Amino acid sequence: MKKGLLGLWSILVVAFALFMIVSSFDSISVGSVELKNSGMAHRLTQSPKVDASGFIEAGAVIADSVTLHSGVSQAVNEVDTAAKTILFIGDSMLEGLSPRLAAYAKENGHILYTVIWYSSTSKIWSDASKLSTYIRQFQPDYIFICLGANELFVKDIMAKRDICVKNIIKEIGGIPYVWIGPPNWKDDTGINRLIADNAGPGHYFKSDGMKFERAKDGAHPTHRSAARWMDSVARWMPLHAEHPIKLDFPSVAQARPKKVIVLQPQK
Amino acid sequence: MENIWYNIQSLLSYDPAAPMIFSSGLFWCLFMMFLPLYALLKKRRLQMLLFVVAFSLYFYYKSSGWFFLLLVGTSLIDWGLSRIMVTLGRRWKRRLCLIASITVSLGVLCYFKYANFFLWNWNSMVKGNFQPLDIILPVGISFYTFQSISYIVDVYKGRVAPTRRWIDYMFFLSFFPALVAGPIVRADYFLPQIERNHNAVTSEIYWGFWLILIGIVKKALIADYISQYNDLIFASPTGYSGFESLMGVVGYTMQIYCDFSGYSDMAIGIALIMGFRLGKNFDFPYKSKNLTEFWRRWHISLSSWLRDYVYIPLGGNRRGTVRTYVNNFLTMLIGGLWHGAAWKFVFWGAMHGVGLAVHKATAPLLRRVPDIWPVKATAWVVTIVYVSLLWVFFRADSWADSWLIIKNIFTNFSPAHILPFIQVRWLWLVMMSIIIVSHSVPSRWIDAVGRRFVRSPWIVKLLVFVVVVQLVVQFMSQDVAPFIYFQF
Repeated sequence: MKKGLLGLWSILVVAFALFMIVSSFDSISVGSVELKNSGMAHRLTQSPKVDASGFIEAGAVIADSVTLHSGVSQAVNEVDTAAKTILFIGDSMLEGLSPRLAAYAKENGHILYTVIWYSSTSKIWSDASKLSTYIRQFQPDYIFICLGANELFVKDIMAKRDICVKNIIKEIGGIPYVWIGPPNWKDDTGINRLIADNAGPGHYFKSDGMKFERAKDGAHPTHRSAARWMDSVARWMPLHAEHPIKLDFPSVAQARPKKVIVLQPQK
Repeated sequence: MENIWYNIQSLLSYDPAAPMIFSSGLFWCLFMMFLPLYALLKKRRLQMLLFVVAFSLYFYYKSSGWFFLLLVGTSLIDWGLSRIMVTLGRRWKRRLCLIASITVSLGVLCYFKYANFFLWNWNSMVKGNFQPLDIILPVGISFYTFQSISYIVDVYKGRVAPTRRWIDYMFFLSFFPALVAGPIVRADYFLPQIERNHNAVTSEIYWGFWLILIGIVKKALIADYISQYNDLIFASPTGYSGFESLMGVVGYTMQIYCDFSGYSDMAIGIALIMGFRLGKNFDFPYKSKNLTEFWRRWHISLSSWLRDYVYIPLGGNRRGTVRTYVNNFLTMLIGGLWHGAAWKFVFWGAMHGVGLAVHKATAPLLRRVPDIWPVKATAWVVTIVYVSLLWVFFRADSWADSWLIIKNIFTNFSPAHILPFIQVRWLWLVMMSIIIVSHSVPSRWIDAVGRRFVRSPWIVKLLVFVVVVQLVVQFMSQDVAPFIYFQF
């Protein structure tokens, strides 16, 4: 090899070795900056089977226990294996849930559209009737909703929100759906019960009671924890959902939905 | 050990969700193995050609799966017809070979890229019940189709002799640095280089390495980072203030430049290391002071291809003023359609065609205006605003979204949003500033830094490379964003 090529090649080899070695450590910091891991070593040595079962198992325990407690899901239906167009709407909790659901969608041939409306509530969605708009726009044949986190402490919730939840379910029409309940960080004033009663068996995944690793705000699950949350939903669906769809465990941790619509908080 | 073997196998297999691009770690691992073998075979020309073609086909397989066979098929037909063409004495027979080859190349391109578009339009007209065909677009088909057309036309015109062996032609058509996203290499420029089989000297190798680093910074660091914000704006045209939308438009203007020119830089750099020159593809296009200049600086390999194989055959400027404008317009229309099978691309091309025609029509008048800096500044502003606004139509998901974003900029603009934006998006602004400043300074300054890098000690080059890669890792989102021009 000529001198120039040898020099370049040796740069590539040394850099490769360096990144490979560094990536075998958990984390390295330079001053106050934590250097992100390239993940090379993990990518080569990971055991997909062990990782997968580990993830599923952790989620499964939580999901099953939650399902038993909630007592709103008894349906055991055949899994619909057809590729779906999924619409996922809700509040800021979707920031963590959506990339993981997108990974499931990618793995199972579904198309995912996500609408994140920050600080939204069942009242905001009900008043705006935006769900119908997005149903018309994306023509989904499956819907996931995650709402309720901004209504955990609403007083007299039955009187104030019952009609809102009913309106949202009415807007969904006959499209199969799953409503993922809020990840309570304190006891709620009844939003979980309200949604569960309106949604009926097989449509409501009660997240209250699950253990989450929270972000600094103390409310939102971290991305890792939100991924496990989504795993729990996926594990719960074939056992309890009214209309379970194919959600095999994904080979990637996260993915991008086909389209993400972000709506800012109402002023 | 079993896991490692399994993971390597899965990494090397075709994964539609993870095409191999120059900014991926896998490519660099493979290139690291490719390089010593290439150096070993460089002087044994036939073996080198076979080796590079095999690597290129594997590269294409990683991006497009079994469609690499389509590439082989196209090359066999082109090469076969070019060989037959030179044995024929009569012009009409040679022309028949030319038409056959172009028909096959364009036919394949039209089927994969435009079939659903045409069917959709047809059904819209007849009010039919349109069901899209299940067609996957092979990556880079638009690029290699244009290369194959340029080859057969040049052979027909006698500008290049057909290659004696299929492998030489296959090397030209499948050369992996330019295979999936250009630059569009011309046969008369590239084939003589295969003959020469030049060994890159040390300064060329490190200049190639420098271009690769520049490309990585542009594509994997800046474009991929700023795209995260730009995507939010285009996903929700009315969800943001006018100022934020404006920033999204400016951001996308720089993103598409960084993305595409960065990838071109990497392609040119890799080719240079291998001893081949691909030609310049971008020349600081946003410095242009009119649209004609813009198209001399933006995607140079495509615009020169369109000039030589569409505009000039249409008559160029030889058939009167009006016809010149029409030819210009038609060429840009085809250029727009080349970018994608959608009306938005046609509109984008058409508006560039209109802009070029207007510039040409007013050129005699403009030449009388004194060449002073306020005039230059005004010309630059008009050009950049026009180009940026047209990028909105290029990027937005629909016609309605494009108008919503533009309308939002003008009707929902408030200076009150500027300060919060700076506080929240300061890193995005830093990235934007880096690219705007580096694009604005004289190109000789950038070249001077490059020359200093080439002359620097080995350890400095290693350090720069490691820092650049770590920065990419540091800012990388979960998935490597696919290259924008992949879809074309």
